[in-house]
Amino acid sequence: MNARKTITIAFFLVVLGVGYYSMNAAPVVRDDAHTYQGGLEWETDPSTALDAAQSQDKPVLVYYWATWCTYCERYDKNHYRNETVRAALDDYVLLAVNIDDPGNGTALVRQHQATYPPQHRIMTPEGETVESVEGYIGRDELLATLKRGSEEAT
Amino acid sequence: MTTVVLGLAVGTWLLAIGLFGSVLATALLGYECATGDQSFLRVSQAAAGVATGSFVIALLYLTSQFLSGDYTNAYVWDNTANYLPTLYKVTGVYASNAGSILLWAMLTAVVVTTTLLLGRYSTRGARLSQSLGMGVVTVFAWMLVNDSPFTPLSAEYPSVAANGIPQDGSGLNPLLVDPFMAIHPPITFSAYALMVVPFTVGVTHFVAKLRRTESMFDDWLGSMTRWLRGSWLLLTAAITLGGIWAYRVLGWGGFWSWDPVETSVLIPWLGLTAVLHTLNQYRRSGRYAVLAPAATAALLPLVIYATTVVRSGVFRSVHSFAGGGIGSGVLFLLGTTSTLAVGPAFVHWFRTAGSDAEEAGLLDRATIYHGAVLGFVLLAFVSLWGLTFPVVRSLASGVEVSVDARYYNLWSFPVVVGMLLAGGMYAQQERFSTRATVGTAAAVLVTALVVGVALARPEWQLASTEPFDPVYYRAIGSLSVVTVLPPAVYFAGAWVVRYAGRLRRLTGRQAKLNETGIALIHVGAALLIVSVSFVYVFSTTASVGIVGATELDDTGERIVRDVEGSPYTVEVTNYSPENTPTMTEAAMTPAEAGSVDPSSSVILVKGEVTAVQRFEDTTIAQLNGSRVWVGADSGTVQFEEGSVIVARGTLSDPRSENIDALVYTNGENVGPASAPPTDVYSPRVVDHRFDVQLYRGDTLVADGTVAEQSYRGRDMQTNDPLIERGITGDTYVVGTRTAGGLSIEISRYPLANQIWFGVAVMLVGMGLVFLFDPASGAAGGRRSGSRD
Repeated sequence: MNARKTITIAFFLVVLGVGYYSMNAAPVVRDDAHTYQGGLEWETDPSTALDAAQSQDKPVLVYYWATWCTYCERYDKNHYRNETVRAALDDYVLLAVNIDDPGNGTALVRQHQATYPPQHRIMTPEGETVESVEGYIGRDELLATLKRGSEEAT
Repeated sequence: MTTVVLGLAVGTWLLAIGLFGSVLATALLGYECATGDQSFLRVSQAAAGVATGSFVIALLYLTSQFLSGDYTNAYVWDNTANYLPTLYKVTGVYASNAGSILLWAMLTAVVVTTTLLLGRYSTRGARLSQSLGMGVVTVFAWMLVNDSPFTPLSAEYPSVAANGIPQDGSGLNPLLVDPFMAIHPPITFSAYALMVVPFTVGVTHFVAKLRRTESMFDDWLGSMTRWLRGSWLLLTAAITLGGIWAYRVLGWGGFWSWDPVETSVLIPWLGLTAVLHTLNQYRRSGRYAVLAPAATAALLPLVIYATTVVRSGVFRSVHSFAGGGIGSGVLFLLGTTSTLAVGPAFVHWFRTAGSDAEEAGLLDRATIYHGAVLGFVLLAFVSLWGLTFPVVRSLASGVEVSVDARYYNLWSFPVVVGMLLAGGMYAQQERFSTRATVGTAAAVLVTALVVGVALARPEWQLASTEPFDPVYYRAIGSLSVVTVLPPAVYFAGAWVVRYAGRLRRLTGRQAKLNETGIALIHVGAALLIVSVSFVYVFSTTASVGIVGATELDDTGERIVRDVEGSPYTVEVTNYSPENTPTMTEAAMTPAEAGSVDPSSSVILVKGEVTAVQRFEDTTIAQLNGSRVWVGADSGTVQFEEGSVIVARGTLSDPRSENIDALVYTNGENVGPASAPPTDVYSPRVVDHRFDVQLYRGDTLVADGTVAEQSYRGRDMQTNDPLIERGITGDTYVVGTRTAGGLSIEISRYPLANQIWFGVAVMLVGMGLVFLFDPASGAAGGRRSGSRD
């Protein structure tokens, strides 16, 4: 067989392989109940998150994000994958709301006036907002906010 | 004023005339193609001319409405405001869907009508091609009539129009207020418009093949190559301008973030580059008899796909400013153009498959060239698939997956390395034996892999990976970015050696310039690839919070902070917010205030007090001797004759025939023009400017202003970074206001300017080829371009 044809056929096999492999290898952002921002498991339904917060007596960290938001990627990469931040987050129930597709979080988005990403709120288990972060902040500032929030909310 | 005739705005009538003209031209040209009867040629030319003329006039008319601030037009009201300078009023014309479709339609109509009026080709095939071109224009015209940029405000926003004609527009998206964004869309749409003729010619070629009549693809090859090279120049420039805009304006510190729109515009660019390669090969050897015309035809659907991505809202992106969803028009266009581009070509290929069985060995130049062309296609596929599969998977299983930069980078990287090797081999084989070439390429590949593994320090790796990542990502991601260097050097070197050899053999000036161009394109590409890879991997970022920065003023006080995890120290010395427009600029003159719609509630007015009178418990002051007066409860405001004041107040009943308008104010809402009461004023834009000095150790590395702009009525900010450019890279400082003051982020982008330099070299190279290619250059060499 002609070498160019061989290469072309091999090419289509490669294309199919790349397509299949990459689709299945893509990190899951959201399934039915959770999203996985920064490799953490976040609730997506505010009522589930608040129930969990009440039973565990922990405050709720609300993260408003969007797929196209590059500052969210920075949060995911620099903050949520950091061990110190992760340790601080152990004191929290995590709730992430995609502001483009908030689902059950629609009312909360409105209540928090979270019109652009990224934003964070810290809520008591009863749903009262005690801290508010709009936009991107450095890791230290986030850690300080998390510390303050867990003191205020409990 | 938007004049409405028989239920439609005048501008919409222009578009309707354009629709009528393009339908007529499409039909008549189709008829001429089907029957060979040329008797309606003049009519079809006139119809196409009228259609094009009406689009040109419509665009000029829309532009004039923007310049004059005609807020009776909903589109104008939506996309501009008084405070914007002229340049950005023009930018508003194509800031949203309808206007940019009008621009695209106009440019496409101009291109198609030009081919029709020049009349250089009058075969039936040419008529089919022109008919298809006008057909594309027809679809645009149909979309425009349905979603007209001339819709009156009263029809689109009745609640706004109910309060009278607005004094000011709702504004242009602040992200678009940038000189690079002012020229990016026209260049992009010009590039897109130039692809319409290659599309129609490609389709016509296969229709002719299927009908077993003569194709004019070979006759048009020269002119089509020029169209496509012109398009490549424009598209490359457009993408680069977009990248510069993202770097400067988005304040996100990146010129490329694999945003859906960036990715989608890369697809036609890769396609176009591949097509230019296949056409080159076709012209010289007759290879790619099916692929070259088919790929040529497929460019327009790719471009329309890119537009669908930008405008549809299916894919969220930084370009969502153009949102609002897209009509079925573009989807229809996508469907029909894809079918036309692929269908006949496929049938033809299916019928003739196997007849093109020319023998070529695995290491022949033709095969290697083919490998490089397929590399472009594979790169385009990676981008296309990255955009597409999350949607597919979400529709199929409801699971949302993310496609990040890692997907694009790690799948594209080996392909690029392979293409560099193939391109280097192709160039080397011109003067060296296959054996020597294969030996060199193998040595380069081994070197690349060895340095790739040996220098795979964590901070040099292509991606940070974790043990649970898929094996492919871990394997490629753990390679050092230096892997790209040996193939890139080999590639550039091989093309320079080939160039040197050719230069000695060639005699004509044009031929030499053409070869120079080809060499520059390839060397520029190598430079671009290396610098892009290095910027990606070696960029570093650190940030620091500066509490109290907004309390600073120009008194010499300063805040100094070390930036943790970096060698930098930041000093903030001044904070100065600036209002645009200033309160005095925003205030109306008495003449304007006198003609304002009485239902307006609160207005701002300025003028010199020329008379003061007192009635009962009210003091009133005349402005500029006009019939507009300002009033306040006596004793609350001291009006002095001769002073120039700015006052904010409500229009109240003057109870006098000598007064047109009485602006009722109070002490907090009035002040001298030199110090207006800014506390009660909410400007369109507040520019929060911080003076910042950045030290690395004791050395001052950047000194200037970082700024953040906030916008009235919009929940968004823009940032002006401070960029200190250098040969080794850029230092990039961006400041974001926080509740406590300012958060400063410092990034270092090594080799950032080599990217722009690489692109510039490629553009110069393509410019030379465009002009001086002996076979189909724009400057002379206008042979019909048949195969040589």
